[in-house]
Amino acid sequence: MTITYDNKTPRQFMIASLIWGLVAMLVGIIAASQLSWWQANGKFLETLTFGLFKGDGVEYITFGRLRPLHTNAAIFAFVGNMMFAGIYYSTQRLCKCRTASDLLSKIHFWGWQLIILGAAITLPLGLTQSKEYAELIWPLDIAVALIWVVFGWNFFWTLAKRNEPSLYVALWFYIATIITVAMLYIVNNLQIPTSLTHSYSIFGGLQDALVQWWYGHNAVAFFLTTPILGIMYYFLPKAANRPVYSYRLSIVHFWSLVFIYIWAGPHHLLNTALPRWLQMLGMLFSLMLWAPSWGGMLNGLLTLRTGWAQLRTDPVIKFFAVGVTFYGMATFEGPLLAIRAVNELSHYTDWTIGHVHAGTLGWNGMMAAGMFYWMAPRLWKSKLWSESWANMHFWIALVGILLYVGSMWTAGILQGLMLGELNEGGTGLKYQFVQTLQAINGDGDGNHVTIKSFFSLYAFRTYGGILYIAGFIMCAINIFMTVRGSEPAEDTIEVPETPAHDTLPVKKWFGSEFLLYVFCLIFFLTLAFFLPSHADKVAILLTFFFTWKMVVAFKKDNKSWSHYYDQLLENYLPFTFLTFIAVALGGVIQIIPSIIVNKDENIEGRLQELYTPLELAGRDTYIAEGCYNCHSQMIRTLKPDVMRYGRDGIASDYSHLGESLYDHPFQWGSKRTGPDLAREGGPQTEADPHVRIGKRDNLWHFNHFLNPRQTSPGSNMPAYPWLFEQKTDFKAIPGRIKAQVKVGVPFPPMDKHTIEQNAREQALAIAKTIEDTAYLPSRPDLSGPELTRYLSEQKIISLIAYIQKLGAYKEQTLEDGAKPKILDPDTQRTAAK
Amino acid sequence: MSKKHPEEEAPLREHSYDGIQEYDHKLPNWWLYTLYGAIVYFVVDWGLYYKTDWFDTDQEKVVAEIEAIAAKRDKALADTLATLDDKSLVHTWATDGAVVARGEAIYNQVCVGCHAADMTATMVAGDQKIPLPGLSLVDGEWKYGATPLDIFKIINDGTPAESTGHNGARMQPWGQTYSAKQVAELTAYIISKNPTDFTAY
Repeated sequence: MTITYDNKTPRQFMIASLIWGLVAMLVGIIAASQLSWWQANGKFLETLTFGLFKGDGVEYITFGRLRPLHTNAAIFAFVGNMMFAGIYYSTQRLCKCRTASDLLSKIHFWGWQLIILGAAITLPLGLTQSKEYAELIWPLDIAVALIWVVFGWNFFWTLAKRNEPSLYVALWFYIATIITVAMLYIVNNLQIPTSLTHSYSIFGGLQDALVQWWYGHNAVAFFLTTPILGIMYYFLPKAANRPVYSYRLSIVHFWSLVFIYIWAGPHHLLNTALPRWLQMLGMLFSLMLWAPSWGGMLNGLLTLRTGWAQLRTDPVIKFFAVGVTFYGMATFEGPLLAIRAVNELSHYTDWTIGHVHAGTLGWNGMMAAGMFYWMAPRLWKSKLWSESWANMHFWIALVGILLYVGSMWTAGILQGLMLGELNEGGTGLKYQFVQTLQAINGDGDGNHVTIKSFFSLYAFRTYGGILYIAGFIMCAINIFMTVRGSEPAEDTIEVPETPAHDTLPVKKWFGSEFLLYVFCLIFFLTLAFFLPSHADKVAILLTFFFTWKMVVAFKKDNKSWSHYYDQLLENYLPFTFLTFIAVALGGVIQIIPSIIVNKDENIEGRLQELYTPLELAGRDTYIAEGCYNCHSQMIRTLKPDVMRYGRDGIASDYSHLGESLYDHPFQWGSKRTGPDLAREGGPQTEADPHVRIGKRDNLWHFNHFLNPRQTSPGSNMPAYPWLFEQKTDFKAIPGRIKAQVKVGVPFPPMDKHTIEQNAREQALAIAKTIEDTAYLPSRPDLSGPELTRYLSEQKIISLIAYIQKLGAYKEQTLEDGAKPKILDPDTQRTAAK
Repeated sequence: MSKKHPEEEAPLREHSYDGIQEYDHKLPNWWLYTLYGAIVYFVVDWGLYYKTDWFDTDQEKVVAEIEAIAAKRDKALADTLATLDDKSLVHTWATDGAVVARGEAIYNQVCVGCHAADMTATMVAGDQKIPLPGLSLVDGEWKYGATPLDIFKIINDGTPAESTGHNGARMQPWGQTYSAKQVAELTAYIISKNPTDFTAY
């Protein structure tokens, strides 16, 4: 029987990846340049249009809104489409079978593009969940989940219909990708909608942080890594025309990678209020992840080992070799950054940004380019238009990455060191936050573009990005010229009449004694870490017992490990099941105890005060503007953090768990382009309980949002003039409070009218405090009570209300605070002490 | 099951997938040791922290560090104050160009937002002068005490706890951010801009 492969779907995905890749990179360059020159947020249009456009910026392209667009476009649009192209192309050939359903392929392709379009529209509008790489609003989340199911359905159906009995290693990685991304995406996006475009995460505070970074870290693992490893395992030996280096390395590194990766999420939250046991798991699993990651690199590079001559002649091999090398570099750097002591310095700085770009530009981008250059002439009856253009692309991209990553490393380390440096005599910190920023963006007071700023570390990052996109444009042109005028290729293959089928009796396999003992072993081994003293020793003994039982049961039923594994490879359902168990374990063990243990009971003596309706509305504005992209709300348990951000005279003024207990979603942040805001708020004033005055007063904040450089010379924060012209949506607040109650925030019962009334009263009270001093350039006609009334309606006042509430808590000690709790190693330790 | 490939020591697996074959090389030893080492490190690190009481928690550690710094700061402040008096601030500090310049640099970094570069606590907006959050430092009035040491103190400690501040605005304690010497330099800069206010010293 002759079958024809579906080449159309890989063709479509490849073209989509090229187009969206350009968009993602362009947005990245704009966002990067905004950090050097805040005027790139739209102010520059004044010059470009000779004054026709007037304003301090365009709200749709501020950094806070562009950055999510950039990350989502790079991950889901560029790498996503590239990954689908590679998977659709290779899976058919590895299964000797056309993709199961052309209709599903079509739905997958067009559905995915529509989702991307939706993201490209909603994110600049400020419609966001504020969870990194999961910013998309809930209707788009549902669409992603549905399209992912379509993809998975199509893929597994193809596996079921395959004509090749055994599964090749590339397919293992695709299987892991599909099930894990589905699991992560669905759990992290559990939310209660308040309107068609807005929702609150069902998780709050610590739990939300944990779930988000379980997702965020593994989006990198299972969206940017495993599928690309699968692609490497197919396209690299194909292009090099050499056998893969080691089958057993594939096995060991695949299983250790998918099992260990999931656990490493908490390394995004080191030295924060996250309980110590989770931080330790995050760090220690990251260290264990080094070897499995390098297993992939070794298998890639060693496959090429006797064919280095091809590097000189074949651009495809060049891209693959460098891509895999960057993978090795980034996966060495990852565990390094996950060491708590290193993370002290690197976290919240540009070092992390440099790290992820080594991964995306170096690993994903180079692998994508290699794959495109290899696939295009095969998907169309054609020859690559220009090898020298491909070579040029290679060198430009390489220099671009090195400039980018090098400047970010330097900037991160420099800023990290400066932030922790003590003054002469060691009595305080040496530098103001803004001085550390000026050191890396080279700007003076920030009011004017200086010559120096063009030679700053931030500028060189932008230049690196420009080089990279220049190379990518060459790639797009090269592919375009290659396919222009050539006919689409149709590949056929002869296959036997009867397809290969799974050979194991599934029921018997699932019910095997061996598998049962494996689970018992894992269960007790886990308990050994979590149970209090003595009980843990029993768990260890039981672990040994079940290990022995497992080995006995295995020997009874099976000839050898390799036989067992060969059999597994001919049965995709048991294989998929085992993969799912491997990836699910880490999440279950980290998240479930924290849900049971760390709610209300573990607040470290401080319980967050609830937001008033107006403050909640202000918080929604904070989220919509993407403030969390540059500001953290987390004072780590580190000397420089407590010294810089803690209150004077309170030695234990790091952020406590309970301070963000009711924050749905959490706002701990992951990068400090600006200072931390956890202690920005303050107590209610005696004159009016509606008004709070924190570290700074209301007029300061008012002036700051109009012109950040007036209050903080040297700042690169954009101005937010539109907050002074857009109204707070008072009518929406009751619905939002209702949703907050649903996710567990204990708001007292209030009717709609009371909520709105309360919000308006508080807004008037706050506006009143600046009635005599505020000056609004856009409405110079307003003054006195008229100005107060006008301002009270605008978003600026609700945002100020929120900022003045930041960090508000009540002291609260629990009676059983010191009692050891089951499943919580930290309380057990404290109690033992 | 497997046969040797001519140019390889390792066996080449017979099966081929779409033309892709696989060797079955042994895992590199150094690679295996990295993996084993990390696993051992896991067990040791976890065991040492959770099964012994040898280590302080992060919270205990940072509190001790911050307290040590605070003690150092108190001592440095006392030492500086011992050498500082109204007279020396006006006649030694405020007349030393280098000292005043250092004070000015700090002023331009963190004070201008509320007190303005010209110390009038106003800024020009449109065609009018509008107030900033702070108090004017050149109007001859010193709300919290008019001696040079009073000025040092208000900068160092911030708005006194019992005061409601200026229009509700309260200044933060800059002694938390700057050393006593830097606060003195800042004081000197302010004094130098108010030559007539401190002639009595």
